[in-house]
Amino acid sequence: MTIEQCYDALGGDYADVIGRLKSERLVQKFVLKFTSDGSYRLLKDSLAEGNVEEAFRAAHTIKGMCQNLSFTRLAKSSSALTEALRAGDAEGAKALVPAVDEDYALTVQAIAGFADSIGA
Amino acid sequence: MQKLRHEKILIVDDSEMNRAILADMLSDEYDVTEAEDGEEALEVLKNKGAEFSLVLLDIVMPKKNGFDVLSEMNRTRLIEDLPVIMVSAETASAQIEKAYELGATDFIMRPFDASIVHRRVVNTIFLYAKQRKLLNVIEEQISEKEQNSSMMVDILSHIVEFRNGESGLHILHVRTITELLLRCLARKTDRYKLTEENISVISMASALHDIGKIGIDDKILNKPGRLTPEEFALMKEHSVIGANMLEGLSAHREAVLVRRAYEICRWHHERWDGKGYPDGLKGDEIPICAQIVALADVYDALTSVRVYKPPIPPEEAKRMIMEGQCGAFNPLILECLEEEFEQIKDAVSHGAGEKAARREIRRFADAALHSKAISASERTLRLLDYERMKYAFYAELTEEIQFEYKVDDNLLVFSSAGAKKLGVANEIVNPETNSRLKEQLGQDWFRQLRGFLRETSPDAPDCRYECELAIGGNLRWYSVIMRAIWTDDVSPSIESVIGKLVDVHDTHMAMSELKEKSIRDPLTGLLNREGLDEELSNKFVQFPERKYAVAVFDIDDFKSANDVYGHQFGDKVLREIAERLIHATRMHDLCARIGGDEFLIVFDYDMGDIRAIVARVFKTLCGAVDDFDLTVSMGVAEMTEPTERYEQLFHKADLALYVSKNSGKATYNFYDDSMETGSAG
Repeated sequence: MTIEQCYDALGGDYADVIGRLKSERLVQKFVLKFTSDGSYRLLKDSLAEGNVEEAFRAAHTIKGMCQNLSFTRLAKSSSALTEALRAGDAEGAKALVPAVDEDYALTVQAIAGFADSIGA
Repeated sequence: MQKLRHEKILIVDDSEMNRAILADMLSDEYDVTEAEDGEEALEVLKNKGAEFSLVLLDIVMPKKNGFDVLSEMNRTRLIEDLPVIMVSAETASAQIEKAYELGATDFIMRPFDASIVHRRVVNTIFLYAKQRKLLNVIEEQISEKEQNSSMMVDILSHIVEFRNGESGLHILHVRTITELLLRCLARKTDRYKLTEENISVISMASALHDIGKIGIDDKILNKPGRLTPEEFALMKEHSVIGANMLEGLSAHREAVLVRRAYEICRWHHERWDGKGYPDGLKGDEIPICAQIVALADVYDALTSVRVYKPPIPPEEAKRMIMEGQCGAFNPLILECLEEEFEQIKDAVSHGAGEKAARREIRRFADAALHSKAISASERTLRLLDYERMKYAFYAELTEEIQFEYKVDDNLLVFSSAGAKKLGVANEIVNPETNSRLKEQLGQDWFRQLRGFLRETSPDAPDCRYECELAIGGNLRWYSVIMRAIWTDDVSPSIESVIGKLVDVHDTHMAMSELKEKSIRDPLTGLLNREGLDEELSNKFVQFPERKYAVAVFDIDDFKSANDVYGHQFGDKVLREIAERLIHATRMHDLCARIGGDEFLIVFDYDMGDIRAIVARVFKTLCGAVDDFDLTVSMGVAEMTEPTERYEQLFHKADLALYVSKNSGKATYNFYDDSMETGSAG
């Protein structure tokens, strides 16, 4: 699996990210790093605890990372969740969580596949 | 990897990945430090804020967010020196607006483009580095200015304080209020051309508003009760007296500062409605500087204690002024009083020292750097303009003769004060032919200038020396300071020479007097050992071809003269010897007292007969002082070979003296070789 194929699989925009970050080495490095970021865990925990503020920050961070990496699909769903949480709309947020879960799983799976193929 | 720059950047973001992306982009060129939330960032900045050149700051973070960081940086004023670029996915314009309001320099939207981040970081750091440099320049200028004005204010405060019992603070207060009102007025209207320069000059000049009171009778000035109409009429004259004093400053009449001070002195008791004194000017016929100072004067007089009244509270004073109970003022200036009231109240009650200086520095920096729609080149021009005005201002006030010589045009330009002092035109073409200049600067001045041009180099463009010049007919010592301005080319050439002549006569005379004292024996005025050494080295180095002889002598039985007649008599004998010595020797001879009663003469004789000279000198030295039969024993050594050194001569003369003493004193001997072995032990 190449990095482009990985982007296709997770619904990202490789052309965009390479246009911005300029270096394939950098993109690859940060893509691989994405799975080790604790923000998703924090988001889930905070939601479970009903800590809306903490959940907002976690969602916001995920959104930011996705934007940086042009993970378009996850960026979109996490962005929607971020806005709901920012507004303190717990009910609305709850409805948006499944989409984020799904996109996050998809993303992590694609990255794992890519990592395997380059032996990382 | 070797860093291209030394600048440090602080990246603040709660997401490690976001920090890593930024760090990766920048760490090749900058030292990057990371902080994972606002609290950590503030901790880093608190300890090492001054080390950083830039902060990249996320907004949404745990503990303290980006706005908290900005607020704290505002509180500590760090924001003024350390640029902050916000990096955030926030797109709400209110958030962005808030960041700018809190002093963020720039805003980078996520997702960001590596080259844009890089460009903005480089630009921001570069701009701030430039600003810091400019700020230093401006701070220097302002502290110079501050010194100048505060010295003046100081002097005047003391005069006025001394004369009319008013506190010297009045002058400081008037100055502060004047400045605040002027600044407010400048924001309201362009009508009065209130540039930073003008504001600064008027504020400075405001210190002089009451100098005319020096000419008012003490009894009237310090009268505790109300003045009679006659007394009041006399008191009113202080405005004209002050103006006349300033007009009498012929040398500085043209200086802007003096012109403003004149207007302020004369017209600070005029009224907007034309019912003031001395000239009954009306409305804007009254110069704006006088209008402002008038209000400042009234306000401070109301709120201060006077011999005839207690202080009135600020609010009350303001109300009285607004209601026209204390004169008639320009409505626009009354508006300024209203708007600046809190500031005025604060400044006048807390004093205007350090705080004002800091405010002023910031203001200059802001005016020079942040004014809207000013491009970099305009900014530079503005600073240049400021420099020119400042230079012209100081040149007008100083006693120095400043000049610039343009090499290609063979043109000499003097400062106006300099030209006046020399009695020449400001600009002189072909100055070498100008006879007036020759008369003032000496026949050789142009040759000296050309000499300097030949000797200077881009690495050593300066020269400084002292010389005596007959400027204005009086021969005085001047320090000449010159700098050659070289072009920036591959093969540099001299564009011009700038420089000045500073009258250092008094210092020079004091120094030479001190030096003269240090090389002379205080009792006899003869050279001491140090002086002798110095004079000798001059002589032997400068005129090695001349013929010298050294004589040493001491007073016979001086100890018994001291014992019998006392030390005062001893001193008298020493002085007498010195006098006889001076009398008997010639200008080029050196005479020194080298010990208690031991003296030395270096004869500088070219053609003369040294034996005849010594015989004459010896004869003059001997002769009774009161009851003491004064005689001396002397040894002399003449130079036999041109290479003979002073030390050798001295040694030989000493041997000859020994022989004289042993042969019954009151005699002299010339050295001959037999003495060397004979009696040296």
